[in-house]
Amino acid sequence: MEGLLRVSGSIDRLTLFIGRQVRWLILAAVLVSAVNAIIRKTFDTSSNAWLELQGALFGAVFMFAAAYVLQKNGHVRIDALSSHFSKRTRNWVDLFGHVFFLLPFCFLMVWLGVPYFWESLRDGENSSNAGGLVVWPVKFFILGGFALLLAQAISEIIKRWAVIKGVRDD
Amino acid sequence: MIELIAHNLAPIMFVSLVVFLLLGYPVAFSLAANGLIFFVVGVELAPYSQSITLDWPLLGLTIGRILDVMRNDTLLAIPFFTLMGIVLEKSGMAEDLLDTAGQLFGPIRGGLAYAVILVGALLAATTGVVAASVIAMGLISMPIMLRYGYDRSLASGVITASGTLAQIIPPSLVLIVLADQLGVSVGPMYAGAVLPGLMTVGLFCLYVFAVTIVRPAYAPALPIDARTLGSGFASLLAVLLASGVAGILGWWLLQDHIARGAGIWGAAIAAMSAYGVALADKHFKTGYLSHLAQQVVSVLIPPLALIFLVLGTIFLGIATATEGGAMGATGALLMAWFKGRLPYRVLSDALDGATRLACFVMFILIGSRVFSLTFYGVNGHIWVEELMTGIPGGTWGFLIAVNALVFVLGCFIDFFEIAFIVIPLLAPVAQKLGIDLVWFGIIIGMNMQTSFLTPPFGFALFYMRSVAPNGPWVDKPSGRTIAGVTTAQIYRGGIAFIILQLIMVAIVVIFPWLSIGEGEVKVDTDKIEINLPSLD
Repeated sequence: MEGLLRVSGSIDRLTLFIGRQVRWLILAAVLVSAVNAIIRKTFDTSSNAWLELQGALFGAVFMFAAAYVLQKNGHVRIDALSSHFSKRTRNWVDLFGHVFFLLPFCFLMVWLGVPYFWESLRDGENSSNAGGLVVWPVKFFILGGFALLLAQAISEIIKRWAVIKGVRDD
Repeated sequence: MIELIAHNLAPIMFVSLVVFLLLGYPVAFSLAANGLIFFVVGVELAPYSQSITLDWPLLGLTIGRILDVMRNDTLLAIPFFTLMGIVLEKSGMAEDLLDTAGQLFGPIRGGLAYAVILVGALLAATTGVVAASVIAMGLISMPIMLRYGYDRSLASGVITASGTLAQIIPPSLVLIVLADQLGVSVGPMYAGAVLPGLMTVGLFCLYVFAVTIVRPAYAPALPIDARTLGSGFASLLAVLLASGVAGILGWWLLQDHIARGAGIWGAAIAAMSAYGVALADKHFKTGYLSHLAQQVVSVLIPPLALIFLVLGTIFLGIATATEGGAMGATGALLMAWFKGRLPYRVLSDALDGATRLACFVMFILIGSRVFSLTFYGVNGHIWVEELMTGIPGGTWGFLIAVNALVFVLGCFIDFFEIAFIVIPLLAPVAQKLGIDLVWFGIIIGMNMQTSFLTPPFGFALFYMRSVAPNGPWVDKPSGRTIAGVTTAQIYRGGIAFIILQLIMVAIVVIFPWLSIGEGEVKVDTDKIEINLPSLD
């Protein structure tokens, strides 16, 4: 258990670090989008590369922040009923959900994501928009985001189990 | 038995989703997992039923759907408007507005309540985030209202309800999400929500007025010694009148020369001229304007400028909603920075807030896309369609049933979940019935506004509870000890406003021209459009 909790701690530190850094990409996306809008109107031209950049930045934010938001319990739940559950029951629900809902979903996405990303990188796949960006970075965000979420799911499972076993305080 | 299950997989899937969600596990992952589990079940049962069109290669499409979500330009506006809202909240714009509006309206009976409603509307027109409005107004106005003897339920009801105006007055987040899910553009949704939104504001004010007539003690005027801005209404009135004239003149001169938006330019001219007068008066120290007029004009300008920057450019067709959001967020950041109210901590926290909200919203969307892949594969959309078209009363029956459904769901779940799970199922049915989707979206948006106020899970009530004094507290300015606000009082306060909002929903349903204009046809069963929104 000690060793597992150390693993969990390392994962938490990694996702926390990444989650704290990606927020700045929102600022970048805001500025890129504002400049795009001004240029589009004043010079009557627009660049698909810059338009795609704002979307890609946002994509990176929410994909890479997903694990961090999970760690901070920020994914919304419908607690109409569960707020009446005991703490113990809620721990079990979380453990059950992490193992049977989250883990398979992340695993599937990573499994599909590897060839998805790799083929795009290998073929140098370009955006279907004229003058757009290459596609592989965005596909990497999907793969990377779900890989991180998978890791965080494992960390959460360890923590829930430790709480249920009484090894760790909630 | 297996065949029975195979034929009814869609309803079974829906019921199990409800069970999954009620367990209280995060919505995004429950949706995705439900989709995946039933995908496996569906593939296994496919030989037993004609209506199941699932096979293993289809599973590979899930990841492409996530790429589609990432390429969605409309939803990019969500972090932009959220960031804008949080920055404005932290930069103290709400405080300035509330202080000044409170002083301006304070001397009349119910004045503080009117001030809260109008500031709520102004904040709503700049941000679109309910939490920010309720928390700001709860922190600033609640203590003042309690100090001067407002009825506790009325005070908290006015604040929570005015906060929810952010839901319906553009640029609201919910209208962005609804536009995306209904497959219409955000611009018409925003334009259509303006009149119903303003009417809601009017209705709230009327209610407060009625209360001051029936129960004057519930909403007393500010006592003389609490009026700090002094008098000087005459000069304020003169400034407003002069700028109004300038605006109308501008509108009249412009309307023949530009294709659209003369009214918007006129309003901009009016605001600019008022600001110009105030600035000139301050600069040359002519003293024509009273302190009151100076103060009112100078605090009103920043939000008005932002409203023009965001909504004006969207309505004029200069900017898309996403661009408007980016411009608004940039404007809010610059404004806060110039005022020296944007230290690193505030910026970082605001970005973190926007990141978290955007992340959970986008993941619910991802989850619902995985869910819908399977749900459509088991012909779930046909099941829902049969269910909804089976409602007696045709279009009206459908609208009433949908509104009842959204209202009840709104008592228990968040509007994002309703928008992402329920709306995609209803949109094709609405389209088949020939209902204008913009009108439909605005009705739903108005209805979801109530979800913030309805017990047991009204988020505006929760925000209010988190900032309202719980037990007795010592009010510093008056030195008195004032009793706290009970949770029951907060809940009770919302009831009147829920009724008012439902009246507005009914008005929008009965008078579609309020949201989609006279010229357009609202219900036309012959008109069935071919371009289905991308729901599958």
